[in-house]
Amino acid sequence: MIPKKFDYYAPASLNEAIQLLSENGEAKVLAGGQSLLTLMKMRLASPNVLVDISKIPNLSYIREEGDHLAIGALTTHDTIEHSPAIKEKFTILNEAVSKIGDQQIRNQGTIGGSACHADPAADPPTALRVVDAKFVAQGKKGERVVPAQDFFVDIFATAVDHDEVLTEIRLPYLPPKSGSAYVKHSLREHDPAIVNVGTVLTVGDGNVCKDLRIGFGAAGPTPLRATSAEQHLRGKTFDDKTIAEAAEKATEGADPPSDVHSSREYRLEMIKVLTRRSLKIALSRVK
Amino acid sequence: MTANSGDDEIQGRVEDLRLITGRGRYVDDLKLEKQAYLGIVRSPYAHAKIKHIDFSKARKSPDFISSLTGEDLLKEGVLPITQDEWPQQRRAKRYHIAVDKVRFAGEPVAAILSRKKNSLEDLIEEVEVEYEALPVVTSIEESKQGKAILYEEWKDNISLTDEAKKGDAEKAISSAAYVINAREGIARQASAPIEPRAVLVAYDKVKDAYEVWATVQSVHGLQELLASELQAPKEKFHVRAMDVGGGFGSKGSQSYPEPLLACLFARKTLLPVKWTATRTEELLEAASGRDEYCDITLACDEDGKIVALKARVECDAGVSGTHNHMSSLTIWMMPGPYKIPNLDLKVGVYVTNKAPLGPVRGAGGPEACYFIERAVDIMARMMGLDPIEFRRRNIIQPKEFPYDNGIGSVYDGANYPLLLDTLVESPSYKELLQWKSDTHSKFRGGNPVLAGLGIALKLQGTGAMLTETARVVLDAAGRITVYTGSMPHGQGLETTLAQLAAEELGVPRDRVTVVWGDTAMIHDGIGTFASRSAVTGGSSVVDASRKLKSKLLARASKILKVDEKSLAVRDEAIVNVANPNTTLLTLKEAAKKLPSGKISASSKFKLRSMTYSSAAHLCALTLDVETCKVNITKYLVVEDCGRMINKAIVEGQLHGGVVHGIGGALMERLVYDNEGNPLASTFMDYNIPSALETPNIEIFHQETPSTITLNSAKGVGESGTIASYPAVINALNDALAQMGTGIEVSVAPATPDAIFSALTANGVPARPSA
Amino acid sequence: MRINGREYSGMAEPRTLLVNFIRDDLNLTGTHIGCDTGQCGACTIMMNGRTVKSCMVLAVQAQGADILTVEGLAEGDKLHPIQKAFRQNHGLQCGYCTPGLLMSSLFLLQRNPNPTEDEIRRGIEGNLCRCTGYVNVVMSIKAAAKSMQENVGKGA
Repeated sequence: MIPKKFDYYAPASLNEAIQLLSENGEAKVLAGGQSLLTLMKMRLASPNVLVDISKIPNLSYIREEGDHLAIGALTTHDTIEHSPAIKEKFTILNEAVSKIGDQQIRNQGTIGGSACHADPAADPPTALRVVDAKFVAQGKKGERVVPAQDFFVDIFATAVDHDEVLTEIRLPYLPPKSGSAYVKHSLREHDPAIVNVGTVLTVGDGNVCKDLRIGFGAAGPTPLRATSAEQHLRGKTFDDKTIAEAAEKATEGADPPSDVHSSREYRLEMIKVLTRRSLKIALSRVK
Repeated sequence: MTANSGDDEIQGRVEDLRLITGRGRYVDDLKLEKQAYLGIVRSPYAHAKIKHIDFSKARKSPDFISSLTGEDLLKEGVLPITQDEWPQQRRAKRYHIAVDKVRFAGEPVAAILSRKKNSLEDLIEEVEVEYEALPVVTSIEESKQGKAILYEEWKDNISLTDEAKKGDAEKAISSAAYVINAREGIARQASAPIEPRAVLVAYDKVKDAYEVWATVQSVHGLQELLASELQAPKEKFHVRAMDVGGGFGSKGSQSYPEPLLACLFARKTLLPVKWTATRTEELLEAASGRDEYCDITLACDEDGKIVALKARVECDAGVSGTHNHMSSLTIWMMPGPYKIPNLDLKVGVYVTNKAPLGPVRGAGGPEACYFIERAVDIMARMMGLDPIEFRRRNIIQPKEFPYDNGIGSVYDGANYPLLLDTLVESPSYKELLQWKSDTHSKFRGGNPVLAGLGIALKLQGTGAMLTETARVVLDAAGRITVYTGSMPHGQGLETTLAQLAAEELGVPRDRVTVVWGDTAMIHDGIGTFASRSAVTGGSSVVDASRKLKSKLLARASKILKVDEKSLAVRDEAIVNVANPNTTLLTLKEAAKKLPSGKISASSKFKLRSMTYSSAAHLCALTLDVETCKVNITKYLVVEDCGRMINKAIVEGQLHGGVVHGIGGALMERLVYDNEGNPLASTFMDYNIPSALETPNIEIFHQETPSTITLNSAKGVGESGTIASYPAVINALNDALAQMGTGIEVSVAPATPDAIFSALTANGVPARPSA
Repeated sequence: MRINGREYSGMAEPRTLLVNFIRDDLNLTGTHIGCDTGQCGACTIMMNGRTVKSCMVLAVQAQGADILTVEGLAEGDKLHPIQKAFRQNHGLQCGYCTPGLLMSSLFLLQRNPNPTEDEIRRGIEGNLCRCTGYVNVVMSIKAAAKSMQENVGKGA
């Protein structure tokens, strides 16, 4: 219940934070702590230094920029859930964060923390992967932008270097006539996902699939894209048949585990079911 | 909140004020100066020899105070973990800290004492233990096969066998018109009260005595365990419990190592010693329950009357603890509310390399009700009979009570036909029938959701141990104090026992204070478990109150110089029976005139037998046939717990009990892997229901007064849990039946994965179309 | 930091959990611990106006924070409407999860003065209770909502 000993710093600036991280090879960044502290209390992770970035100003915001919506890494899930802009333009993210844990966890947990923790069973990583988010990291060498496909490297591992801090997540706006949805399947509402699926689609004339992105989590070391299913539907008309066919293909590349909650077979089947359901919901949201 | 004594609506229970203002006193809230912290080093192996224990690294820390091993306990002359004498479970020698061998993952192999709370886990990690792994037994099958024999003194792994027979079941089955066989089961599950176990011990060297504060369901029970295992007189242990955050069986049912180890450390170091379980330790070590499986055969005649019940129950008791009796209770209670002329019920309890089993809310009762109610439903479905109609043909009729079930129980009274009538005549039931039909129409139209309704009837014996102590005192200020051997931990006994005394003594409830949980103030007592406190605790309070009233009236008659028979107590005064509105003497005045300024009476009232409560439950749920996820839509209960002392408290117990059963039916499972590693050791993996998984519960009441208790009440604490398992699983199977596959799910918990496996294993397409 | 309206300053090891700091150093034992992994919510408090699980926060993270625990709900002898509602509606049994539930209810009602039943259940999904089955908890929160709105109406 009590973590191992560590030193704690609460830098007032990003540069200070980066400096501390580069000086301490085993240091970890602390933001909301809802994921990291659980691991530390169970002694599954024991960094000897924690760099608390929550006191650094100007890292919590939701801004509508030219071609994207920018979210500060320290923005809490609760703030995101209640953002009208995100609800309207990125319903998939609104739904994903609304299903995290519970009110207390959403009040304290941050989008940057969730992204960097990179738990494939968590909700935001799938959504962020599907919307092709861009992740802005600041380090000693300055700022760099990592696209979603390169960001999630492995289970609990991202492209953010040890001495970098994730500062912002950029969500490229969806084209007109788009819809998105996030569907989570878990034993209880607030449990980590047994499987989760997010879809973003754009509809062309005649109800034709102009673009489609399907992603799922908890079925591999990172959120994965169902590229085979996406390819199947692109250019075709959206209807029950094509959606069902795409859902059947959604599991290609998926490698879900069997664990105390569910078997692998069940998870594979649920990817198909949730793909179908999230496609239909996303379609219904196209304006 | 209404109370039957016509009490105020505003105040709620007596215990509420301190609890809602954060002034409850739970053991972990207590602090003694210089208190040290006890930590347990636990085996990561399920079955292994202990080769070597090395404290040298831990000793280097400035926070390390002391250590203990199993060998140290032997040297101190500590006796092995107590096993209950009843019902003849086989003796298994196990120690509070393992000696030579560990037999379950989580078993203590060493104990250490730390100066600081924060460094306790550091010290635990620094104790180095060398093990030699042994073959692990993780299932009843492996136990039967003797993959390893857990106790060298035994030739096999059978901890207990029991049977109950009546008539000739084999014969009746062979000539029956209808026979069904089913394999049923409930996986291992936990009590999981939100407050973990905790203990604080201070040792007085001069008196050679221990002050013990513990979160237990029986202070006298703990006192007896400590005294017997430490081989010291009972009086040396002053055991107290104040507020206890739930128990559900786990806090009174085992001889746990930690209170005893805290006593030893306190004596050794002269420091107060505190121990609080982590949730992981709770899930590893606190008494878990269920883990019972049953091969059941039910036979009936042409008219749907049951002629025989045959059952072979097997129970995985882990390494075997203080109590192994749950599955014996299962077979004794399995006939339920039905008239069954031929019974052949057997149970075998096996030891495995898992934590010891113990009573968990219902303690064998939910299993019994589940096994029979599932079989009844399967039979009804096979015969094409409505499940309610089938039950009507077999339930004991009101005029047939008292009813002797032929295997050791005589049920006092119930009205099962009326329970069913109340259920089916309720507006909710009729709405649910319509709802089920509408849902089915939508299913045929392509919506992948089916609705199911499930019924279960419950019969429960309450009043285990048949007795409890009470002492009622009237003081010179006119106040009444009730000292009870009961041990409330959420049931509101501080309120209901006060109500009972207040009724008998003609005073408002707030004139009565209930005192519990202190072995110095209450010399003798049993405790609260098994739905017994309203029954035994309540009866003894009524008895003591009546004795007090007699004494008081005898005194008053001398003071007033009138015949005792002409007096009564009413509205805090002694009055003339013929003229009750005139106060002859107030209670206060009467008390003042007493030689010692107070008057008291005691009781250890013994019931002549258990008293039996009854209920009918209905669960309405939906099954998403694609995800196999179940959602409980609504739940109805018709409850008969005899006279309700406090209606709100009765209903609260039912709500909690039902939700506990919903958790057990749908989501709770203490899973072990093939090496005996527990996989559900946090609340992340052991899932109990939250507010989102639970329905509103509508309750109807029936009161068939108990003819056994002095307050006409029957117990209700476990009632909700007993019938909810089968109500939920019967409803699930009612939904599944509409898919036309013939597949029944009979093992709880019916998680989505389990339902999916049952369907796909039987060749049902993963996403069956309507 | 500020606790229940009072300023406080002290020292804590970085790894001291806020819940232990509140219980052991500040002697406010109304906030409870029920699990190891932030599931049960018995440790829920308000920090800077939002509910958090104090077992999932380090004491040092609360530097400069404004904290409200169950002990700060009542004003002297005057119970908060939420406390009254729980008492009147039998919204508690053993009382162990209750302080955390009261805080979650407060946050819910501050944000959403007239919640639907579904919103109530969602609002307390992070508070586990083994005793009540949540039925009377939901009723208590509904009653509290009503009573708080009536107070507002009266300009109280």
